[in-house]
Amino acid sequence: MSALNEMQFLLRDVFQLENSWQGSELFADYTAELGDAILSEAEKFAREALAPINRSGDEEGCRLEADGVHTPSGFVEAWAAFSEGGWPSMAGDPVWGGQGMPKALSVMADELFYSANSSFMLYSTLSVGAALCIDAHASESLKETYLPALYEGRWAGVMDLTEPHAGSDLGLLRTKAQDLGNGEYAIEGNKMFITGGDQDMTENVIHLVLARLEGAPAGYRGISLFLVPKFHVNDDGSLGEQNAVTIGSIEHKMGINASATCVVNFDGAKGYLVGEANRGLQAMFTMMNYERLSIGVQGLASGVASYDSAMTYAAERKQGSVAGELAAINRHADVKRMLLTMRVMADAGRALAVYAAHCLDCSKSENSAAMAQRAALLTPVVKAFLTDQGFESCVIGQQVFGGHGYVREWGQEQWVRDARIAQIYEGTNGIQAQDLVKRKVCVDGGSALKAMLDDFSALTPDSSFVSASQQFLTLSEEMVMVLAEHPEREGAISVDYLHALGYLSYHHFLLRMVAAATGDDVAVRQQRLQFFEMRIMPRFNALLSSIKAGLSVDLVL
Amino acid sequence: MADYKAPLRDIRFVRDEIFDFNTLYTKINGGEDATPDMVDAILDEIGRFAEQEIAPTNVTGDREGCKLGEDGVIAPSGFKEVYQKFVEGGWPSLSADPEFGGQGLPVSLGMTVSEIVGQANWSWGMYPGLSHGAKHLLEAHGSNEQKDAFLPRMVSGEWTGTMCLTEPHCGSDLGLLRTKAEANADGSYSLTGTKIFISAGDHDMAENIVHLVLARVPGSPAGTKGISIFVVPKNNLDDSGNVAERNAVSCGALEHKMGIHGNATCVMNFDGAKGFLIGEQNKGLNYMFTMMNSARIGTAFQGLAHSELAIQHATDYARDRLQMRSLSGKKNPDGPADPIIVHPDVRRMLLTIKSLTEGMRMMGYHMAYNADIVSDGKDEEERKVADDLLSILTPIGKAFMTEVGCEAASLGVQVFGGHGYTAEWPAEQNMRDCRISTIYEGTTGIQGLDLLGRKVLGSGGELLKPLTKEIYVFAKENLENEAIGGYSVKLQELTKEWGELTMHIGMLAMENPEEVGAASVDYLMYAGYVCMAYYWAQMAKTAAEKLAAGTSETAFYEAKLHTAKFYFARILPRTITLAATMKAPLDTLMDMDEEQFVIV
Repeated sequence: MSALNEMQFLLRDVFQLENSWQGSELFADYTAELGDAILSEAEKFAREALAPINRSGDEEGCRLEADGVHTPSGFVEAWAAFSEGGWPSMAGDPVWGGQGMPKALSVMADELFYSANSSFMLYSTLSVGAALCIDAHASESLKETYLPALYEGRWAGVMDLTEPHAGSDLGLLRTKAQDLGNGEYAIEGNKMFITGGDQDMTENVIHLVLARLEGAPAGYRGISLFLVPKFHVNDDGSLGEQNAVTIGSIEHKMGINASATCVVNFDGAKGYLVGEANRGLQAMFTMMNYERLSIGVQGLASGVASYDSAMTYAAERKQGSVAGELAAINRHADVKRMLLTMRVMADAGRALAVYAAHCLDCSKSENSAAMAQRAALLTPVVKAFLTDQGFESCVIGQQVFGGHGYVREWGQEQWVRDARIAQIYEGTNGIQAQDLVKRKVCVDGGSALKAMLDDFSALTPDSSFVSASQQFLTLSEEMVMVLAEHPEREGAISVDYLHALGYLSYHHFLLRMVAAATGDDVAVRQQRLQFFEMRIMPRFNALLSSIKAGLSVDLVL
Repeated sequence: MADYKAPLRDIRFVRDEIFDFNTLYTKINGGEDATPDMVDAILDEIGRFAEQEIAPTNVTGDREGCKLGEDGVIAPSGFKEVYQKFVEGGWPSLSADPEFGGQGLPVSLGMTVSEIVGQANWSWGMYPGLSHGAKHLLEAHGSNEQKDAFLPRMVSGEWTGTMCLTEPHCGSDLGLLRTKAEANADGSYSLTGTKIFISAGDHDMAENIVHLVLARVPGSPAGTKGISIFVVPKNNLDDSGNVAERNAVSCGALEHKMGIHGNATCVMNFDGAKGFLIGEQNKGLNYMFTMMNSARIGTAFQGLAHSELAIQHATDYARDRLQMRSLSGKKNPDGPADPIIVHPDVRRMLLTIKSLTEGMRMMGYHMAYNADIVSDGKDEEERKVADDLLSILTPIGKAFMTEVGCEAASLGVQVFGGHGYTAEWPAEQNMRDCRISTIYEGTTGIQGLDLLGRKVLGSGGELLKPLTKEIYVFAKENLENEAIGGYSVKLQELTKEWGELTMHIGMLAMENPEEVGAASVDYLMYAGYVCMAYYWAQMAKTAAEKLAAGTSETAFYEAKLHTAKFYFARILPRTITLAATMKAPLDTLMDMDEEQFVIV
């Protein structure tokens, strides 16, 4: 499998990332050539080391034994090779041994890994997110103790948020932290749905745990963040005794069976405060934002993997005749419709993810608040839209296989099962949509949105895009006004609103890809754009009607 | 873990208050036995049986799956025992022909039983479910001798039936099949070949399994015109018709699947198995289609089944799960948070599932109603109209109901958040089980071609008329209705647009037949949403009448009005998209070269 050409096209021609990297101090080491080389290596590693243990990992699953969680066969070796290749440190801070790679580049490597083996990649995603959070909020001494080993892949980080009664509503969480007075805290409580909560691939597991200090205010404002290692770390960096952190059970799930989803018990486990007391949620969001972007990429990658095998199958499977001859099914119009849907959604989705990551890079390299705002605006769109579309592509890919898509043998059904979680975790897509509407659009009266869409219109002054964009802005203004008066209607329209913005952005990126294309590629991309405009974009209009209806009707059940 | 509750109230609403099956039963052959009291008793009893006996095997059947032993397939624990009780209760014979020991009750009543059975455990229900098609085919095309040999015990449920169509290299395109049937001197045939994806192909629940197998007699024409159909029992029969030695039919392997683990999906090997030709040679596919239609209606009900389960599970969960406060003020001030059912986005999901579920039930019974007339109607002209209507509704029902059923099942997972993804709750199994429904019995793509190509355009639009006329007349009669006048205006617009879209595609298809495949799935989904709008208008009308007349069930009827409003405002706009996408020029699909799909 290889989306490499598409990635290189985005890197070089569509976004011309080298110009931006070379113009900044932060990413001056990065060139288009280096980017190509990194992606080629990532693709090779994904194909050779991760893809072969994807289906076997699903069949075997994880096991909980007396000494903790055991990952499926081959995962320990794959992780060792992954660390050896330096992949856990891509996005890391160079001060602590990271590579300081631009996110616009690392998200593409992430995609390659996810589309080979989502379960495996999740261990890395959680670890990278935890390292980011430690880097941004922890004390220097915690950074020094933990970051290098995390970047080396010797240890892995995880996040412990959810409790049985507190999922989307973290304000309800009960895990307690007692100040022991020596800079240490005793953590007591149960966490569930902890992805990668334990495994046998790294020497240590570093938990970032949300808990309440004694006497802290109720609700969101009384939550603090703690670093709790599975094994204590001695002053010389060697590992000491096991901390009072145990795995109660692992979940039996629909998919991502090779990723251990754990119930984690903290029985007076020793930990360290990260950032300020009662500011835990804010610190956690550093990690969440990265992870939301990454989970969006999981959705994209699942759709790409499903497309890749569906396309191959459709070229080989002969059923029905075209012009009197037995034909491969990819010659039938309805099969082309399915394949093209998957294809354009993958092309555009990748562009959106890279663009959002690039905004995040620019917010740092140019110290740009406007770009930070834009990255924040796009994060929920990437998370929810890419996972919704990715899931749809997985289902379509399964459909292309007919009955063979339902049996395990071909691996298509695994993509459907594995991708389904991405719409749920790291904040359900319903939560993402509310985040977009309330905290990203209504919060500034839609001005960050307008700035972005104005930029898009200037870059792709296609009349149908510009008019759709204008329609969307007008509707957004109306939405801001209506919600000010009827805040309870927000949830009624938010998912449709997020989807509408997703389709609009996809249109922009596909236009931009046509504009950046050269040679024979122009006609091919033109065709895909036309398909998108005629066959996908009408969904946008229907969403606008539905949003209008939702702004004026109360939902009663 | 939520328990299954047979949705008897809603089934009765649809059966009694909308379609009025009781009146229909007074007019059709054999309907006289289905008195209102009898129907009521049957509904109560199958509801009880499904809830108490069948439903408990649903989760365990998924976990345990089927096993292939030395002697053949072993169904999950409890399946056999429940099936024996089902047979003892006389359920398999409910709507079968009295000539072969059936009770002769209306087809639609059998469909109600199947609806409830399938919701309790779809995988289990497939074992008796697949027998129906096999029985119909034998009844319609078998010789008297074959009927006498097989039907009585299939009707009683002592034996089950299967249909063996697919082979490794041919699924949607049966013209490619290779299984051979060679004539023996005694008039029987020896069948040799391999079939795959045979649902309920083998099991230990019944004494014998009667396979209906598509195969080629040597020398037959190539393609679909050279296919014959044979009855091949798992166990041969002795002279007195009892089970004798094993036939050369065996299950070679079981598929490992995404879901419906309780149902054995078999690779069936025929190694010179003894079989008997049904009807005439080379007419196999035609005969098979008589059975496919009932199987397709049966599969349509699968979409409803998973949607019904999704709404039952998700509603309970959304009322119990406390997360966050309502934005319009606390709704559960004494609790730590409000139940998530107060949040509009959760309501959007629940109302989507609910409106699709109840709309699907209407579509299911619309088919059932016409199936009764086709099967037992006394008036030739009425039968013809019903048959036309059913021929259009069947592909719509099969594909639309399973597609939106999968959407509902997936939303059912979403309402549960992370819990929906774990095996501790029923939502994930429900979604896995549902995914097969858009694939087997003809994929959605195949149904689209059947509807638009074979049925609508193939008849020059004639077959479509009874359905669009029914909707149009209903809308016209209700333009002034206070409750549904607005809906009626919308329905009139839609039937008009539907006609225009059909014309538009029909004209294009005359130039290039590829246009059909390019528009067919969008066309079918469009038709589904329009039908569902009609059903919601009907339900809203009846609900408003009941409320106006005074009722003790205000909540039930008001919910119908609210849900209708939601459907028209939030779901029906999908037709806007579909009307646009189905008209997109063919070159948006066909210009893309096969090679260009490859990424590298």
